Amino acid sequence: MLIGIDVGGTYTDGVIFDQGEIKASTKASTDSEDIKGSVLRVLEQLLGARNPQDIQRVVLGTTLVTNILATGRGEPAGLLLLPGYGLPHDAYSISPHTWYLKGAVDFRGREIEPLDQKELAEALRAISAKGLSRVAVAAKFANRNSKHEQEIREYILENYPDIKVSISSEVSGKLNFPRRAVTTYFTAMTLSEWNKFADEIESALQQRGIDTSADILKADGGTVSLASSRIMPCETVFSGPAASTMGALALNRDKLNSVVIDVGGTTSDISLIIDGEPLYAAKGAVIENHLTHVNAFAVRSLALGGDSPIIVVNGIPELSPIRQGPAACFGGQVPTVIDAFNIHYALNIGDAEASQVKLASMAGDHALSLDQMTAVIVEKVTERLMKAIEEMFSQWEKEPAYKVWEVIHRRKFELQQLIGIGAAAEAILPPLAERMGVHLFMHKYSAVANALGASVVRPTLSVQVHVDTAANICTIDPGGKQAPLPQGAKTQLEDVKALACKYLVGIGGERGMGDYTGEYKFFMQEQFNTIRGYSGSGKLFDVGVQVKPGFIKEYKGVRS
Amino acid sequence: MKPTGILFFPAFDWAISPTHPEREERLLYTRDQIFEEGIMDLPQIREYEPGIASHSDVARLHFCIPDVAAQVTEAHLISAGSSLRIADAVMQGEVRNGFAIVRPPGHHSMTVSHGNRGFCNINNEAILVEYLRHKYNIKKVAIVDTDVHHGDGTQEIFWDDPDVLFISFHQDGRTLYPGSGFLDELGGPLAYGTTINLPLRPRTTDTGILYALDELIMPLLDEFKPEIVINSAGQDNHYTDPLADMAFTAQGYAKLNSRLAPDIAVLEGGYSVETALPYINMGLIMAMAGMDYSSLREPDFNPVRFQESSGNLEYIKQMVDRQLNAFRHREEVINANRKKGDDFFKSQRSIFYDTEYISEDQRISLRNCNKCGGFRIIDSSAQHHDGKYYTAYCISVPFWACDGCQQEARSLYADVLRKTPNRQVFLQDRPANQFRCYDVETEKETIL
Ligand SMILES: [Zn+2]
Ligand SMILES: [Zn+2]
Repeated sequence: MLIGIDVGGTYTDGVIFDQGEIKASTKASTDSEDIKGSVLRVLEQLLGARNPQDIQRVVLGTTLVTNILATGRGEPAGLLLLPGYGLPHDAYSISPHTWYLKGAVDFRGREIEPLDQKELAEALRAISAKGLSRVAVAAKFANRNSKHEQEIREYILENYPDIKVSISSEVSGKLNFPRRAVTTYFTAMTLSEWNKFADEIESALQQRGIDTSADILKADGGTVSLASSRIMPCETVFSGPAASTMGALALNRDKLNSVVIDVGGTTSDISLIIDGEPLYAAKGAVIENHLTHVNAFAVRSLALGGDSPIIVVNGIPELSPIRQGPAACFGGQVPTVIDAFNIHYALNIGDAEASQVKLASMAGDHALSLDQMTAVIVEKVTERLMKAIEEMFSQWEKEPAYKVWEVIHRRKFELQQLIGIGAAAEAILPPLAERMGVHLFMHKYSAVANALGASVVRPTLSVQVHVDTAANICTIDPGGKQAPLPQGAKTQLEDVKALACKYLVGIGGERGMGDYTGEYKFFMQEQFNTIRGYSGSGKLFDVGVQVKPGFIKEYKGVRS
Repeated sequence: MKPTGILFFPAFDWAISPTHPEREERLLYTRDQIFEEGIMDLPQIREYEPGIASHSDVARLHFCIPDVAAQVTEAHLISAGSSLRIADAVMQGEVRNGFAIVRPPGHHSMTVSHGNRGFCNINNEAILVEYLRHKYNIKKVAIVDTDVHHGDGTQEIFWDDPDVLFISFHQDGRTLYPGSGFLDELGGPLAYGTTINLPLRPRTTDTGILYALDELIMPLLDEFKPEIVINSAGQDNHYTDPLADMAFTAQGYAKLNSRLAPDIAVLEGGYSVETALPYINMGLIMAMAGMDYSSLREPDFNPVRFQESSGNLEYIKQMVDRQLNAFRHREEVINANRKKGDDFFKSQRSIFYDTEYISEDQRISLRNCNKCGGFRIIDSSAQHHDGKYYTAYCISVPFWACDGCQQEARSLYADVLRKTPNRQVFLQDRPANQFRCYDVETEKETIL
């Protein structure tokens, strides 16, 4: 039996999945002050009288990291930036506790300017005087040479053993210094609370007699073991949209171009699936208004859901983004989007009489007919969803491209189906599908697809190596370690690909991925000849290999 | 304030040859630098996706022999198309200005294109100018060529166009390819003074170049009053460029661009791929976006390394005075030319294509018109390296040509194709946006 739990902003959903069927499902309010408590309550409800020994897997998607950062509960951390010579310092507004240090390397990892030890000592004195016990360090091009970051960490370990240090080269090997700095800073701020959460979950599972450890759902639609989640908690943001999108794929495994719409209480999350594979956000996840190096699905969230209340402004029916409880047909006080669709299409959801009464009374107050009122709401909801979807298509079609091949092979997004997820999808999406002229796929498990998705997704891992043959260096992301090249100056693309695989298997092994590391695919293979004078002086390679989001071997689909 | 548009198209899968300066690696470190800086994420910047120019966009400017497909690869169409994409963003008010960091370059490419010249097949900025006229009805344009090499292609293209002010400063043609761009190259008989060259001595520094900017280029722009200013933004004046010998810095390039304030900049040459381009491109972007670039510098930058000599500054001053004077007296010269000229001004020249060893001979006629700058005929024959011989009779009607010139050009085309000894006859009818080519042997006409 598999357990999937998805902690969302409003609700926490959970399922027990076994033999192609959902054996139990539950939904409870999320207590954002006590995420662990919310998880454990749902776990308890799911387990009931079941034998905990039968549980083979527990996967959690949580909003903990998002909550920590959004509510300012993060551990205060100092930020040491080494931005070198480029943008002015005011381009980086990341932390109120920022110190700028000298020291620079270039894109080939060559040192341009050494660290200034005196300046470093002063910064640390100030950090210590402020009582900060965590520091994030980010240097420009540290992903090509982390020497300065390492030196700073050693200095701190030696002189301030109580201050814990996160360095950017270990957090991400991708280009983009501000995103790397932000991701490192958020990692530093969330590590201790995440570790506490992980400890508590571990012991709760043990106490309950569950033998297996928990896996955590990441923004990229894959899982990571609870133990490995402690390296970079930021990866666990936006697990909700990841769970829904993977849930949609779990229910519909055709290799089609789909739009997944998860209609929740007050929000709708839209994601795209291209040829059966989820589309990633080109610039990484946005956390607290900052772009980061966290790999996340491209998701557009609209403040529009089944429980969005209807209001009348200047005689025109509108949608309010602020939830005031459930729909009238489920005992709520104010009419909502669900009520409007309920009446307009005679869906007979819940207490349809209540929908009718509340809507009619609101319409009467503003001299509108009931039909006018519901028609306007249906039109607005459909229009807003369609506009958001079309914007996503056009954004995808207009991604920058850096190769001739990419430009001439541009595609238009040709939509083949909508996939509805969430309790309100069945009521709200049919007119949208009709308008867009595509099939709406719904499944009996659509309402709990997020938790189902969480329970059956497999671990993911992406490894990127950057090779500079002239310098005889290979840099490995994640981790930022550097190693000489086994084939030295003779290194060819095939050698680099083999290296990347070796590291994928190695890192995946450390992270408990088992034989899933065998299912890798290359997502990047770049090579450049570096010419100095009139002959070649070496080659640069960037090779990326990953275990993509997918499903565990045990998952053979749902029984219909 | 509106953002600055950036279109970065490094063509990572295109090279003239594996070790040629125009190879995949050229913008690799620029990519590293601008991506690592995170500059595309800034609110001051909006990144654009590449565009693809149509064959008719190319034919509006060039006579491609025997046809457009023979002269351009997809990379050329994307490089040119990306310049047009950035121009659209500027013209439609989405951005305040825009920079197309694209390759391959174009400023050595001339009106008639038989092949690759100086790494260029088609002229991105010139295609852009005719596109602006066609799509946005723009008349007066200034192109400032800041590449170290004389922009001889762009000069030739607008030689007879009084509504395009072409200014090029460059390392003196006696010391560098393509060996042209001297003070007395001032434009054709009816467009005299709107071609301005400033040949600089080797090792001219920031001080010298910025002096020329402030004292010559800016006053010329003030007086000419162009609707659009385009920077033909080469980066090979840099002190580390392997193909030239100047002493301009990244700071110098940034200052030049913030004072010049071009509406559109399009990358041209620049082959110091590691030690110059990443920093110059950063400087240009920051300057165009109005950001503080004072902390930008090359790793080996030394502020006291390059000092302008007073002798060189005096030399530049004299050239500046001479060129300002030529520009300010242009109308008198043009009027005199009109009076003393016959129906057509005739000239001829030979052009050598360094990259592909093509020798071309041209006989050029310009109609002496008192209502406009006249239309131009180029009778071209070219011998290729492999012995093949191409001949074309090319009639070019300017977008702003008067009715008389338009009609005469059209009837000339109809007339010539029956009796020409050339293989092909072209009519580039810009007012009608119609580009005809008649093949004398097959008697087929193609229209773009
Ligand atoms: Zn050049
Ligand atoms: Zn005329």
